[in-house]
Amino acid sequence: MNAPTVNPSPSPASEAIDPMLLSIMANRVDGIVREMTSTLLRAARSAVIASARDMSCAIVTGDNELLATAEGLPVHIFGSHLQTISMQQLHDDLAPGDAFLHNDPYMGNTHPADHTILVPVFVDGEHMFTVCAKSHQADTGNSTPTTYAPYARDVYEEGGLIFPCVRVQRDYKMVDDIIRMCRKRIRVPDQWYGDFLAAVGSARVGERRLAEFCRKYGKDKVKAFIRQWIDYSEKRTIQAISKMPAATITHNGAHDPLPGLPDGIPINCKITIDPAEATIEIDLRDNIDCLDNGFNVCEACAINNSIAGVMNCLDPDIPRCAGIFRRVRVLLRDGAVIGRTSFPHSASIATTNVGDRLVNLTQSALAKLGDGYGLAEGGVGMGAGWAVVSGRDFRRDNEVYINQLFVGGNGGPASPSADGWLTYGIPVAAGLIYRDSVELVEVKHPIQMKSVQIHPGTCAPGKFRGAPGAELVYGPKKDTMTVAIPCDGQVFPPKGVNGGHDSPGARTFKIDLDGNEERLPGVAQVDLAPGEWLRGIDNSGGGYGNPLDRDPQRVLYDVAERWETLERARDIYGVVLTPSENDLGYAIDLTATTQRRNALRTAA
Amino acid sequence: MKYRISVDTGGTFTDVVVQDDRGKVVIGKSLTTPDRIFHGMRGAMQMAAGELGVSVETLLGEAGLLIYGTTHSTNAIVQGKVAKTAFLTTRGFPDILVTREGGKFGPHDFSYDFPRPYIARRHTFEVDERISSEGEVVTGLDEAAARKLAKRLVSDGFEAAAVCFLWSIANPLHELRMGEILAEEAPGIAVSLSHVLVPIVREYRRASTTAIDASIKPLMQNHLREMQRDLVAAGFAGDILVSTSAGGCTHVADLVEKPVHTVKSGPAMAPVAGRAFSRMEDLGDDVIICDTGGTTFDVGLVREGELKYTRETWLGGQWMGHLTAISSVDVRSIGAGGGSIAWIDNGGLLRVGPMSAGSVPGPACYGKGGDKATVTDAALVLGYIDPAYFLGGRMKLDVDAAKKAVGTLATELGISLERAAFAIINIANEHMINAIQDITVAEGFDPCESTLVAGGGAAGINIVPIARELGVRTIILPKTASALSASGMQFSDIIFEESGNCVTTTGRFDYEGVRNTLDEIDTRLDKASEQLEIAAGGNIRREYTVEARYLTQVWELDAALPSRRIEGEQDVLGLVDAFHQSHERVFAVRDETAQVECLNWRGRMTVSLGKANWAGEKTAESGSGSSGTRRSYFGDSIDDVPVYRGQDLEIGCTITGPAIIEEPTTTVVVYPGSTARVSANSNYIISL
Repeated sequence: MNAPTVNPSPSPASEAIDPMLLSIMANRVDGIVREMTSTLLRAARSAVIASARDMSCAIVTGDNELLATAEGLPVHIFGSHLQTISMQQLHDDLAPGDAFLHNDPYMGNTHPADHTILVPVFVDGEHMFTVCAKSHQADTGNSTPTTYAPYARDVYEEGGLIFPCVRVQRDYKMVDDIIRMCRKRIRVPDQWYGDFLAAVGSARVGERRLAEFCRKYGKDKVKAFIRQWIDYSEKRTIQAISKMPAATITHNGAHDPLPGLPDGIPINCKITIDPAEATIEIDLRDNIDCLDNGFNVCEACAINNSIAGVMNCLDPDIPRCAGIFRRVRVLLRDGAVIGRTSFPHSASIATTNVGDRLVNLTQSALAKLGDGYGLAEGGVGMGAGWAVVSGRDFRRDNEVYINQLFVGGNGGPASPSADGWLTYGIPVAAGLIYRDSVELVEVKHPIQMKSVQIHPGTCAPGKFRGAPGAELVYGPKKDTMTVAIPCDGQVFPPKGVNGGHDSPGARTFKIDLDGNEERLPGVAQVDLAPGEWLRGIDNSGGGYGNPLDRDPQRVLYDVAERWETLERARDIYGVVLTPSENDLGYAIDLTATTQRRNALRTAA
Repeated sequence: MKYRISVDTGGTFTDVVVQDDRGKVVIGKSLTTPDRIFHGMRGAMQMAAGELGVSVETLLGEAGLLIYGTTHSTNAIVQGKVAKTAFLTTRGFPDILVTREGGKFGPHDFSYDFPRPYIARRHTFEVDERISSEGEVVTGLDEAAARKLAKRLVSDGFEAAAVCFLWSIANPLHELRMGEILAEEAPGIAVSLSHVLVPIVREYRRASTTAIDASIKPLMQNHLREMQRDLVAAGFAGDILVSTSAGGCTHVADLVEKPVHTVKSGPAMAPVAGRAFSRMEDLGDDVIICDTGGTTFDVGLVREGELKYTRETWLGGQWMGHLTAISSVDVRSIGAGGGSIAWIDNGGLLRVGPMSAGSVPGPACYGKGGDKATVTDAALVLGYIDPAYFLGGRMKLDVDAAKKAVGTLATELGISLERAAFAIINIANEHMINAIQDITVAEGFDPCESTLVAGGGAAGINIVPIARELGVRTIILPKTASALSASGMQFSDIIFEESGNCVTTTGRFDYEGVRNTLDEIDTRLDKASEQLEIAAGGNIRREYTVEARYLTQVWELDAALPSRRIEGEQDVLGLVDAFHQSHERVFAVRDETAQVECLNWRGRMTVSLGKANWAGEKTAESGSGSSGTRRSYFGDSIDDVPVYRGQDLEIGCTITGPAIIEEPTTTVVVYPGSTARVSANSNYIISL
């Protein structure tokens, strides 16, 4: 079925702007988000923002509809309107020159480590937009030196300051009381302040550009544009959903076991696809109650990550704005581990661990529709390469340092048409974030990196294979370094779909002075003394489809490039390679391959 | 030195611009001959010589200077037709070129594979050695293994090797030794060392630049030397200079050593041309330069007379391609041009690009089998292009085919043919406007205050609405618009750049370290200028900049040094102030409390080759009458619009839009509300 069976409610014809102008104005607002993003990235101080790009910008309309997101991280942007709603509910005196700091997960933010700056944009006295600049801080003053507090019993034990949409600028001037509180309470205050300034600058750039945008087109045209652009996004979503088969899929998964949770954290979803009505409903209500730890997935993350999982399987060109929400609905329950987190339960680690599992859960659920649908599970777990490291730097008068590393990398999931993305990272970031430069890591922190590399034969096989995870080894240069690792995917590795294989799983080891390796639990905090090393192995993404259906040319290339081994090519893919003088070093023995594949199929 | 010749060898055409000692300027164009570049060059020169009324032998014999620019290296890199190159890296870090720095377009798009590395993993070799970030030797170089590796590279048939060890910029000992071992054991292999080529922090950027440099060394050495030999054999006895990515030019010998500096050197010359044309017309030192080809649209910027530079140039697209981190003229390319295809998405919205019809099959109107509507087809439908005078009449265009292709879209959209064509042009404009904003507005520069210089064969079609949208009031469309880069070479200077690392903060300024770094830079620049005969008596200028940031920031901004040396507190304060200003302009905030950290120091020496004496000439005996009219559409109705031939227009005459001016290699569409004037230098000045 190609024709849409459902149409969005059309805008009144009298106000309609033509498709040409619609397209032009949409490009313009996306351009504004990009400019905000580049401002935040390039002016920031901490590596987590400036180097890894763990941040996103968005534009929300004055009546709280998500309008533009450019290349914002899926985990950050879909729920931006929840935060602007709270800004309006809390403040009835919004005025030009205001800026708000919002990191409250009970009120629409993603997790306390994500500081969001909100700036209402006024045009001729009317609140037309709110710009959002969200970035993951290097520190937010938690009770332990990490922005991820996995075992915090509640928000008090987590310990970071919560800002429930607090005014930080009035008349374009800082509210110094708040700045002083932060400087007193956040580790490495200059680093935080630099990042804060970068975010404010980014929001102000957005404000300036949107005001110009409104001046240029006039408010009426801008309002017509907003309506039509969101309608257009809805129409594209309708097109995509109406082509899918009708189905109700229940699917479940789990986060790795944790102390007191020997079976891990189970997660469930029920997805109903109704092509006739062109809707997808993601029901997350059948989940356990909030836990007394930091793994609870708050409202914003529950929405962001389940919608991201679905969007990963639809036409990637659909504009990411409020039109999607009219067709993809998320049902949540108060007080559920994935849902509206009940105060004072902690959502310290809401954006990643269980959040990552939620992306995987929804995208792999859709693979149950058959070949061509859905995605495998992506590599999960913030292992050694994503640890928060802290200590004192002997090279800088023993100054305190704290920051999250981004040198590792889980592999991406295979799709119906491509192999996994190598620098995928984690499902909620989906390859958008950057990797740290090893040299920059070493110059900013007293760390010695020993290796960062990919090992052959660690990709989850499939017709399309998952991307391999990295292996890395590092340790302190001189003084003891504290390393907090909130990993996952060590016990329940990411799964393949439709015949694709699972990842071999992530692992973390501590290497002592004598070179002995000790396997660490997934979620771990260790002190590394000088001479001790940490070794981490990241996850591969899951495979998609039967490896025996993989194009032998792809297998050949993988072996030549040492992504795969000769043995696995023969045993798993059924592709027989023989040494050759050509540049790849091998050639495909077609006859032997056919025989081998037939034999393997029979055996299965 | 009677003639100055510049040559721009592109993928399809070789452009030649010749200027004689009285300032007369002529253009020659010929198809590029990749097998022997001189043949195409000679063809283009013949055409130019003809216009000057001399033979090509006379032209070459009496020319004092030839400046050569080429896309040879860029094309080889993009097409992967480079030397078999080995990547030598520190043990434990084999995947620097594979993983790049991350980043991806399309947050929900899982339909495409991860891009392949510039040098394959199977051609990557780990070397036992390690230097720390403090420059200490953590693991010494295993010389025996290094020697064995060098021998293996020979037996495996490698032609080049890129050496990039971690922290070689803090201590080059191991890279230098590896270079010596390679020279001894594998003298036939071209070698590039990362700390020599591009001494910057961030291993991927350094490794990628080094890999690209090594991989094109054998072919560029051959290419440049052959070109030099052929020119000399043809009777040329003057100086040969080659244009570089920095928008200057330099001797063949320098580029043979560091060929990465030829990458994108052609586009880098367009801003040089733009600056010169704007000055020539007395239209200021703030210039936006647009060069529209068939498939790409390039934008560059000149601010207060200075070219804009970048240390992040992607070949083959951001994140998907490969990076060079040498300081290059910042020219942003987007896939948009005459060949961009228009289509309707499943939400009913008209889109243009990124797909292009290229030159084969090309736009529908080329009649070479293309049936998709392109920007060129839309321009034809709108009456902007004369189907009988495309490329000066050398190619006939099929109007019916264009109408059919655009008509299909019009029917689907439920609008008139002309309206659809007009929409295609406008949406294409939008991509170009965004590209211009990206390099201006996003960097804190207001395009309203700039002059726009437009070049390229397709520039005149839509530059007026683009400029209008940006708030630009004046456009220059040079007489030599279709050969903008070759024109730029006529105005280019010899540029040398040297850099050095000295990390220091303004709170605890390392006066001695910075002085030594700047002295070392000056010593190298002195040496370079001594070797330049042509520089004698020329106007030599040196400028110094530092890449700086607030302490603990990650990305740097350029700040100009207030003086040649930083000798006292006042100088440091001046530097800090320059940085604050730059930061506030770009990022909307400043941090008065923060110290400024200085990293890379750079010195750039510019040797002026003498002002180009580019005088106009009267092109018509009389009159400014139109040669007829054409039915054209500008958004409201189809009207008869006057059409002029460029050669019929007298200097000083003004054409009021709507009108169309036709030149053999470009068309100028004078939109309603704008006027075009022929300047004393024979350029078109369009006022909005």
